[in-house]
Amino acid sequence: MSTSSSSSISSDDEPNSNPNPIDDELSLASVTLNESNGNGSVNVNENENENNRQDGGEITWGRKNSEVEVEAPSSPSSSGYAGERGSSETTNSRIEDDEIQQVNNDDGFVDEVNHSRASSWVPGKRHVDEDDASISWRKRKKHFFILSNSGKPIYSRYGDEHKLAGFSATLQAIISFVENEGDHVKLVRAGNHQVVFLVKGPIYLVCISCTEEPYESLKGQLELIYGQMILILTKSLNRCFEKNPKFDMTPLLGGTDVVFSSLIHSFSWNPATFLHAYTCLPLAYATRQAAGAILQDVAESGVLFALLMCKNKVISLVGAQKASLHPDDMLLLSNFVMSSESFRTSECFSPICLPRYNPMAFLYAYVHYFDDDTYLMLLTTSSDAFYHLKDCRIRIEMVLLKSNVLSEVQRSLLEGGMRVEDLPLDPLPRSSISHRMSQQRLLTDSPERFRESSVGIGGPAGLWNFIYRSIYMDQYVSSEFSSPINSHQQQKRLYRAYQKLYSSMHEKGIGPHRTQFRRDENYVLLCWVTPDFELYAAFDPLADKALAIKTCNRVCQWVKDVENEIFLQGASPFSCATDKTEFAVLMLESYL
Amino acid sequence: MGCAASVPDKSSGRSGGLNNLENGGPPDAKNLRVKLVLLGDSGVGKSCIVLRFVRGQFDPTSKVTVGASFLSQTIALQDSTTVKFEIWDTAGQERYAALAPLYYRGAAVAVIVYDITSPESFTKAQYWVKELQKHGSPDIVMALVGNKADLQDSREVPAQDGIDYAEKNGMFFIETSAKTADNINQLFQEIAKRLPRPSVPDS
Ligand SMILES: Nc1nc2c(ncn2[C@@H]2O[C@H](COP(=O)(O)OP(=O)(O)OP(=O)(O)O)[C@@H](O)[C@H]2O)c(=O)[nH]1
Ligand SMILES: [Mg+2]
Repeated sequence: MSTSSSSSISSDDEPNSNPNPIDDELSLASVTLNESNGNGSVNVNENENENNRQDGGEITWGRKNSEVEVEAPSSPSSSGYAGERGSSETTNSRIEDDEIQQVNNDDGFVDEVNHSRASSWVPGKRHVDEDDASISWRKRKKHFFILSNSGKPIYSRYGDEHKLAGFSATLQAIISFVENEGDHVKLVRAGNHQVVFLVKGPIYLVCISCTEEPYESLKGQLELIYGQMILILTKSLNRCFEKNPKFDMTPLLGGTDVVFSSLIHSFSWNPATFLHAYTCLPLAYATRQAAGAILQDVAESGVLFALLMCKNKVISLVGAQKASLHPDDMLLLSNFVMSSESFRTSECFSPICLPRYNPMAFLYAYVHYFDDDTYLMLLTTSSDAFYHLKDCRIRIEMVLLKSNVLSEVQRSLLEGGMRVEDLPLDPLPRSSISHRMSQQRLLTDSPERFRESSVGIGGPAGLWNFIYRSIYMDQYVSSEFSSPINSHQQQKRLYRAYQKLYSSMHEKGIGPHRTQFRRDENYVLLCWVTPDFELYAAFDPLADKALAIKTCNRVCQWVKDVENEIFLQGASPFSCATDKTEFAVLMLESYL
Repeated sequence: MGCAASVPDKSSGRSGGLNNLENGGPPDAKNLRVKLVLLGDSGVGKSCIVLRFVRGQFDPTSKVTVGASFLSQTIALQDSTTVKFEIWDTAGQERYAALAPLYYRGAAVAVIVYDITSPESFTKAQYWVKELQKHGSPDIVMALVGNKADLQDSREVPAQDGIDYAEKNGMFFIETSAKTADNINQLFQEIAKRLPRPSVPDS
């Protein structure tokens, strides 16, 4: 199996080697042909049988030697597909490059205008007119499906679920065939495609992808999609299937396409989706404290969790007593709120379930937007707490206005976070901290484009980007994207590379990898894992190794110097891990 | 709906629900405060009606309501009384149906909306009327609203059907258009007129 995968990889190494997209069509052909059997006796394709034998039922595929991932970016012209369902707002949007497989001859390093996320992606499902017979549907690079164990479609990223009944039945047949054999299907490789299965009681989740993301990453994405569904419906939906195995769940998910499509979109830009950590909006320590104090105040009056967020970033959060909030729940909750437009219109009170907190029960969420980006979520177990929570919000709003938190939030949003170009040269004086987070920012308020053209080469020693994840705090910080990682495609490719690195560092049975240094034609990637933190850094592919290592040490020092501004201190959402370990900046050289 | 398992039980007779009477002060015959709930199928235009009434806006892009939204608006009547509507704009999506009692419990007014181009939504409206007759406050004021009246060409529910059904059930009936603002203010004015006035307490 690893042979077949590495051979397909090596052909990908030449960016121009595959001018014929038809070759990359969903090659489930051998499976699809058997659809008519209908009774579950599907001949699973050869790959899978092979895998079955080799791995004793746990179908996985070997790690590849080459970390090269060549993903052909699509051109904006590929967006000429039909608009989303029931809405007329699909104006000229750019399409995500995993939407359709298209082989271009450039390798993504062309200078592109830096589209902001908001303008480059329009929420909602597209291509509803497609079904499994459409060529365009078959060429999509990454499909996600949810179906029931009786083969009823529940969700599909592309195309109308109802038109995909035949295809769903096929997937269901594969799963039950292997389950009857006493195995659990996890992964099938079919040509360039990986088919990843996740079985959750009566719910099957499937990803079909030719993006070369590691199995663990795709599985993690399916877990999040399942979690998103639980957030909307709770796990008590299982009972519907106990009563009626043929239960049709699609009406229960009515109007939630945007929630799922926005989650799937975030797999390509939000590192929280694979780091299982959250990130904070950079703020002066005192500002965050002021927000935290008032949240703490209301939390003591019967609010289970109080979260103040700006887009996907935390301003402050507080949990009552020992209640702990898992970073994945935060991700799913903020995705749900941000993707459901109605929350922006006026204050809302809605049942939601936090899958990691308690997958069986609804909590009630009071949601209020203070401005376009900043919103408050107060969670409670009490279904009639609305007026109390509304009063809490009014108190919070008064304090936030009085202490200028909301204007500081807007300022931080404009200024952005850590930038590789600002990496302090020598980690000497502690006085450089405030210098770095505030003064310099004011000079760079100009829109992204200007800054990029004026900087050009990233940070010292060819440092392009980094992500630092603090283990005990469940938080991460990533540097702002800067040149040459400008386009959404380049950003996505970098995140995919990090993701690969992350899963290779966390693979079971490999032992604690401490460091990895990889060089390919796109980057030098450096990863450093300690019990306290993980650092992922990307450098120019020509970067000097010794210098890169030195630079990573400096990044760690820098993060430590500004930790009061970039992390939420002392309020670990995992209440058990509150003892904050003082982390020493270890000398990375000694590991490599 | 099929998955009502973990939503609050609607059978419980306790006063519960979303009522804000505690800090409402004593009843005042000149300044009324009423809880109003909107019910109806998803997409019939409940949110658009509310936003037209409260903010004078119409946004044609669909923003499916999650749970329920809360808005308020005060109107003045000719006899110089004011009525403050505290409006629960509920989600019409099926998964929230079991949650409705939370919002209509204690409501003085229920506005049940359908879309004149959709017979299914008219059927759904009748379901809500029955549900409220069974579980709503006994003296609840109910209005039946046929929305999207601007779409005359695709009308599928004759106005007479609405009139007849409303009459049979002692409801007030009106056809509105959130898009053109037609009859939106009239809807709330008429509701206000029909509210039972609290008898002025001796104080
Ligand atoms: N032509 C026309 N369209 C309308 C009118 N009112 C609403 N709409 C459209 O109907 C769609 C749904 O309206 P909403 O107000 O969101 O429907 P809703 O009843 O709140 O739906 P849920 O929140 O899901 O329960 C929107 O896209 C509106 O553009 C109207 O009076 N005329
Ligand atoms: Mg609505």
